[in-house]
Amino acid sequence: MSPLHLSFCSAFVLSGLGLAFHRTHLVSALLCLESMMLSMFVGLTMWPIENQTPSFTMVPIIMLTFSACEAGTGLAILVASTRTHGSDHLHNLSLLQC
Amino acid sequence: MNPHTTPVLAISLALGTTITISSNHWVLAWTGLEINTLAIIPLISKSHHPRAVEAATKYFLTQAAASALVLFSSITNAWATGQWDITQLNHPTSCLLLTAAIAIKLGLVPFHFWFPEVLQGSPLMTALLLSTLMKFPPLTLLLMTSKSLNPTLLTAMALASAALGGWMGLNQTQTRKILAFSSISHLGWIAIILVYNPKLALLTFYLYTIMTSAVFMALNKIKALNLSTILTSWTKTPMLNATLMLMLLSLAGLPPLTGFMPKWLIIQELIKQEMTPAAMAIAMLSLLSLFFYLRLAYHSTITLPPNSSNHMKQWYTSKPPSTPTAILASLSILLLPLSPMIHAIV
Repeated sequence: MSPLHLSFCSAFVLSGLGLAFHRTHLVSALLCLESMMLSMFVGLTMWPIENQTPSFTMVPIIMLTFSACEAGTGLAILVASTRTHGSDHLHNLSLLQC
Repeated sequence: MNPHTTPVLAISLALGTTITISSNHWVLAWTGLEINTLAIIPLISKSHHPRAVEAATKYFLTQAAASALVLFSSITNAWATGQWDITQLNHPTSCLLLTAAIAIKLGLVPFHFWFPEVLQGSPLMTALLLSTLMKFPPLTLLLMTSKSLNPTLLTAMALASAALGGWMGLNQTQTRKILAFSSISHLGWIAIILVYNPKLALLTFYLYTIMTSAVFMALNKIKALNLSTILTSWTKTPMLNATLMLMLLSLAGLPPLTGFMPKWLIIQELIKQEMTPAAMAIAMLSLLSLFFYLRLAYHSTITLPPNSSNHMKQWYTSKPPSTPTAILASLSILLLPLSPMIHAIV
């Protein structure tokens, strides 16, 4: 495992653990999702350089576009749930539990 | 909502599903999954009710994390093997990550908690989309990689899905939650056969789609969100209620109806693969879900409890019959005699 591979894998795993275990604010969950996406962006950018495949250099841009769309949707949901539930605490989202 | 929004969302849903099921490259498959997730969120939170917004939040968080995990597993595979082909997922770590990610997307058992809550917070037709169309792209990815998946892990998850889906549906009175747990236990039947016979898993999913669409559309017709509404709806649509009982028994998998066909074929295939204990366990576990299907079926027919009812009788209003509901109901009741042909086509 090269140092580059190790760095983006550990960034992904750490932000995934943050998403899974730090469950107070919706904003921090969205930030963890964004850092997962950014670590994968690093992985996707470095892959064509390591493998000398320049035809692949379009893919990180596509991925970044979709992660930006996802972040926008996340912020819209943040605004909507703050307006309906009063705050962005995740423990307020308990109306639907059985 | 702007009248142009619904066609745009419908086209996006069709586009995302088509991209994912026809792609051969991991990035394109991930793109289709993202388009699907982004297009269904306005449909869930269409009514700006707190419950709808909460369902959209939960759906967004789980699906975004799961699709990030899908892309990460394919990046791991590409760094290890140097190719992006979906059918050649050879790296063992990325196989495990992909199984976990697809299980989150589908709602298989260790990751199933979001599914009943999202279904409870969304309207009935969106719930129909969530339990049929939204499960098709992840299931396709699982089918395309089925040669390299871990059979022990999938069998364990399948048995746990059938058990927990049946068990947690027992004390529900909300129809959408009952149908969510029925979806979880049907996913258990799909996942147990996936490695051994992918065609049969696809056939099971098609038949489950037909049966659950018929039930959702019938419930949408009588506007029944909980059991007591079904109890008084026999004055409103008597024929639909009798058909609803048959459709529910078909969903439970009783012999003369369609739902028996996938269970029959799956148990036969499992016994051929010398997995008789797993076949016996999953057949026994489907009895748990039979209990709540039977309760829904009791409520949908005239079988009232012998005490006086507290609910208002509903007026009989003449409504035009719905052709899709009729077609789906006939298919979900009468397809068992055609099972050799269907088995040969799929």
